[in-house]
Amino acid sequence: MRSTIARLLIKRIFSSLIILFLIITFLFFLVRISPGDPVQKFVNPTLSPKLAEQVRESLNLDKPIHMQYIGFLTSAISGDLGVSYNFRRDVSSVILEYLPFTLLFTSVSFIFQMIVSFWLSIKSVKKINGLFDRALSNITLLIYATPVFVTGVFLVFIFSELLNIFPSSGLSSYDSADFSFWARLTDYIYHLILPIITLSLIEIAIFYKYLRDNLEDVYNKLFVLNLRASGVSEKDILLKHVIPNAINPLITIAGIELGIMLGGTLIVEVVFGLPGMGRLIIEAIFTRDYPLVIGCSLVVSFLIIFSNFLADIIKAFLDKRLLTGSLN
Amino acid sequence: MIIKKYSLIIIALLLVVGGCEKESPVHSNRVVVALSADITSFNPLFSFSVDEGVVSELLYLSLVDFTWDEEKGNIKPGPMLAKKWEWSKDSSSITFDLRDDVYWSDGRKFYAEDVVFSFDVYSDPGVQSRLYGGFTDFYTDDENHVNVNKTFEVIDSFKVRINFKPNSTPTLPEIIFHIIPKHVFENVERKSIEASEENFKPVTNGPFKLAGWDKNQTIRLKVNDQSFLHNPNGVSEIIFKVVPDYNSRLTQLKKGEVDFVELVKTEDIPGLKQVDYLNISSQKGREYDYLAWNNIDYELYNTNGKIKPHKFFGSPVVRRALSYGINRREILDEYLAGYGQLAIGPVSPIFKGVIDSGLEQYEYNPEKSKQLLESEGWKDIDNDGILEKGNTEFRFKLFIPSGNPRRNYAATIVKNNLKQLGIDVTIESVEMGVLIDNMYKKAMDAWMIGLYIAIPIDLKIAWYSDLEKTPYNFVSYKNAEADKILDEISEETYQGKLDSLYRQLQEIIHRDEPVTFLYWVDNIVVYNKRIENININPLGTIHHCWNWTVRK
Repeated sequence: MRSTIARLLIKRIFSSLIILFLIITFLFFLVRISPGDPVQKFVNPTLSPKLAEQVRESLNLDKPIHMQYIGFLTSAISGDLGVSYNFRRDVSSVILEYLPFTLLFTSVSFIFQMIVSFWLSIKSVKKINGLFDRALSNITLLIYATPVFVTGVFLVFIFSELLNIFPSSGLSSYDSADFSFWARLTDYIYHLILPIITLSLIEIAIFYKYLRDNLEDVYNKLFVLNLRASGVSEKDILLKHVIPNAINPLITIAGIELGIMLGGTLIVEVVFGLPGMGRLIIEAIFTRDYPLVIGCSLVVSFLIIFSNFLADIIKAFLDKRLLTGSLN
Repeated sequence: MIIKKYSLIIIALLLVVGGCEKESPVHSNRVVVALSADITSFNPLFSFSVDEGVVSELLYLSLVDFTWDEEKGNIKPGPMLAKKWEWSKDSSSITFDLRDDVYWSDGRKFYAEDVVFSFDVYSDPGVQSRLYGGFTDFYTDDENHVNVNKTFEVIDSFKVRINFKPNSTPTLPEIIFHIIPKHVFENVERKSIEASEENFKPVTNGPFKLAGWDKNQTIRLKVNDQSFLHNPNGVSEIIFKVVPDYNSRLTQLKKGEVDFVELVKTEDIPGLKQVDYLNISSQKGREYDYLAWNNIDYELYNTNGKIKPHKFFGSPVVRRALSYGINRREILDEYLAGYGQLAIGPVSPIFKGVIDSGLEQYEYNPEKSKQLLESEGWKDIDNDGILEKGNTEFRFKLFIPSGNPRRNYAATIVKNNLKQLGIDVTIESVEMGVLIDNMYKKAMDAWMIGLYIAIPIDLKIAWYSDLEKTPYNFVSYKNAEADKILDEISEETYQGKLDSLYRQLQEIIHRDEPVTFLYWVDNIVVYNKRIENININPLGTIHHCWNWTVRK
């Protein structure tokens, strides 16, 4: 059994690496053949066009595209993703400045989504087709259909502009450097409430829909009726039997959604002015900072593949019967 | 129920604690300026963006300071690091007498050696600064690196002479930039300067010094009370707050979270006028929008470098007809609502001594436009509503940058106006980077874009015929007469003669109408009324902000 797991794990890691390789290869050529020239920003228009060629040479853009690709792959294998044109620093060091925020922001939001959607769906299935259940079904549909930036702007308008409860953007107050540790922490939380709600609402709607339907399905199964007939308490039925049976499909969805959410932070980060990967990617694309675009895409792709992988492992761990199927 | 109870308590606590710590900017002597994007370096060698230039201006000083002379409509030099300066009689050298009371933020004194070192580094090909390649009046080597020994004479610690190469016409604005500290960068390998740590912990000598940088959030500058520019009654702290979303910038302005926002859209002005503690002002005459008509057949030029007039826009008569056929005043009145003025050529009305006020606008006149088009052989022979000349129908694509409501609006008016003349226009909205790339490649028939003009005035970069040396001549305008005047301008230093040459040039450009000049667009600035002594002028919206005061 152990050797099977090891073999499957290696196979899975190998296929993930191939996917990563294909993604960065595709992106490498895509960003270079798409229109736009990264050199123009650095060349004073009053100067000779020969200087543009010199800058192009310094950015390694003068070589044929396949040579650039070989150079990029050779460096990437040794962990060197190149130098960002805009930041004039190693791509990896730039990404390391922005990544922790996105990871933390996404994780906190993910936990928040899980707790809220769990709580809502359990409350909902307690009385299927009750007022709460029906109202929530409609509300979640509305939230699901609303684009994230609309939700963000709407929340800012209500809670920041009209009620003046939360700040409209930023991660901290500009004078937070003068605050005590706890006050600074509170300041961060205070600034992150609206962004977390914005990022989470749509995911809560998705998770709620899945979980509620799964719970309802399980509740309708014969074994639940059996358990009830045997006098098992409703609490035990829910906690020991219904939830474990309903949670599996949710983990797969959570793995996929976690990846999608990493992309979704992009909009939230721009609307709320937060210093994360989303904004970094947008700036890199608009300024044609090729090494940074590829570096960011590589990291985000890795996170998506990793979150899916993690979801499969958790699923297999919860139900050993799924082990080979999940990993394969 | 329990969750509900605790969540309410937590939220209440957060609000109380957060609320307690928040200091309202209204009661402080600090000013918060909104930026749309963070900067990437504090080193003036690499201040490529406008925002980087703004921040480095507050941290570093130049030899000479420039202010805007409203009356003459030109820049006026004044002392800064240099107390005074003197040109030699033949303008082949200039001697600067430097201040002896300037200190860098690490306590070291500023010397003439810093000046020499700065010229050396700015022109070093290994550094590739923003000014690299621009030292054309200096003694340089083959790679445009200034020859320090031939160029500079350090007379004493506070006196330096710059010698220019023979037959050059140096001017003060061309040789003035922010001086950097020699003692900080002399031991850094030139190629490593762009990535060095010193760029983020800058040693400066300006009216402000860096107090903190929370990347992508805030840049805090505190007043440098050792500076000779220090104003005890002025602003004590300037905070640049990065707010990428335009609507968030306005929300924060209304809430008092930021004090100063620029590039405000005209459609937001009525709402902002309702807020009684906001002032609305504008910087005029730095940017104009134009409709670019490719003067040449770009496909032929890109294939073999040959020049042939464009099938539609090659004739000045057709271009004038297009200008007559577009109702620019409607766009100006409807969209810009008073925050702009009609453009008549590439010279901004702010240059009062240079602008040729005798030129006549191409006022909207569809009948005249039709006559001119007909005189050039464009007629609707088959009565399908589209003009023809031989087998060619007058239809083309107009490219505009996406995400710009003003240009969207203007493009629609242009399309409708030209349709009435029998010209079929298809609007293509593309991302700005793509549009600019196509402009450099000369790969479009027509497009609409804005141009941010340089101070001092510089027309050669856009209107000189040598297409290889004039990358901003996107429409490939060619006129030998204009070239001759532009060459004369490059060699002339007497202002009276320059003014006359510029007027002649404007007449030629107006006659040829290489593009349809639409309008000068104001940079609308909205700020909190508690900031006083603001002087918004063509040199910048927060230019000389060390003179700002805050009403208590």
